[in-house]
Amino acid sequence: MVGVAFTVFLAGSFFRLISMWRLAKKKDGLIFSYISIFFALRSIVHWILPFAGVSMRKHPAMTIVAFLFHVCLFAVPIFLSAHVILFKESWDISWWRLPDMAAEIMSWSVIGSCLFFLGRRIFLPEVRYLTSLSDYLILAAVAVPFISGLWSYHQWAAFQVVMIVHIISGEIMLMIIPFTRLSHMLFFPFTRGYMGSEFGAVRHAKDW
Amino acid sequence: MTKQKHNFCLAIEFFRKISSMKQTKILFYSVFSILFLLVGAFAAFSQEDIETVNDSAFENQTRPPVVFFHDTHNENAAIEECNACHHMFEDGKRLDDDDSIGMECSECHCSKMKDSMADLIRVYHLQCGGCHLKQKTGPVMCGECHRKR
Repeated sequence: MVGVAFTVFLAGSFFRLISMWRLAKKKDGLIFSYISIFFALRSIVHWILPFAGVSMRKHPAMTIVAFLFHVCLFAVPIFLSAHVILFKESWDISWWRLPDMAAEIMSWSVIGSCLFFLGRRIFLPEVRYLTSLSDYLILAAVAVPFISGLWSYHQWAAFQVVMIVHIISGEIMLMIIPFTRLSHMLFFPFTRGYMGSEFGAVRHAKDW
Repeated sequence: MTKQKHNFCLAIEFFRKISSMKQTKILFYSVFSILFLLVGAFAAFSQEDIETVNDSAFENQTRPPVVFFHDTHNENAAIEECNACHHMFEDGKRLDDDDSIGMECSECHCSKMKDSMADLIRVYHLQCGGCHLKQKTGPVMCGECHRKR
């Protein structure tokens, strides 16, 4: 099952990147004439560092939560000791492991961040205007693996069932990455690089 | 004097000595010693008192120790041979007529490896969980063995 999830994630990501590349070539071939690694990286760096852009400075709460969320979202599944031990069991490879206490705090941070994003979608009119049902579902898809993970870790009621929910929800999250808005994980260097090149090489302006 | 005769004389002398002690005191010590020996013998031959899996190599335990009732488990699993679990290897070959009773798993499995703790955890998990998966019975989830009490 894990194999299927990783295969769908990797093959799906590859397919999406290739098809997007083809689409860009067909519909906006001009971009290839001025796309620039320098301006792309300049823009990516400014958007990947907290408070490096104007928008981030204007929305400090969103910036802090968003960065905290993304760091924890990646660090916990990859460095959780229980996950590393499972890789060790199956493939005999291992790497650095997070202390359980840190992983727990970080998992709660992810859940708290999801609640923050949910509140934002509900209460901020400008965000609600752009929100569709899929945004709520994606938030749930991200939160459920963390809630069920903490549940199983603490061995709360019926944790055996919750553990299965944890495994399946984690695999679903992995598999939907290429096909939903979660694909910003794959596309962000390209969208950012596109904007950075246009602003840098054509308009001679900043895009952060 | 032969060695046997010499021992016999010593024993006579010993009995003479203790006969000078008070009768009640002797009785008390005898009963106490016999009880002590019986309990000791019982403990030596039964693994009934083993309730968790322990290995001194696990200094900083990050999960609760595994609950494991040795005799109950083996009765339920119908395991007759000790070396079904307490295996012994030589030159990469499993020895059918030898076992590793009394040894800690870490004595062999935690020696020259880079991340010895992960390696030791791995062999424990494969030994218990691997068999459970193979036999399609027994716990396989983290919290089913590492139970919080």
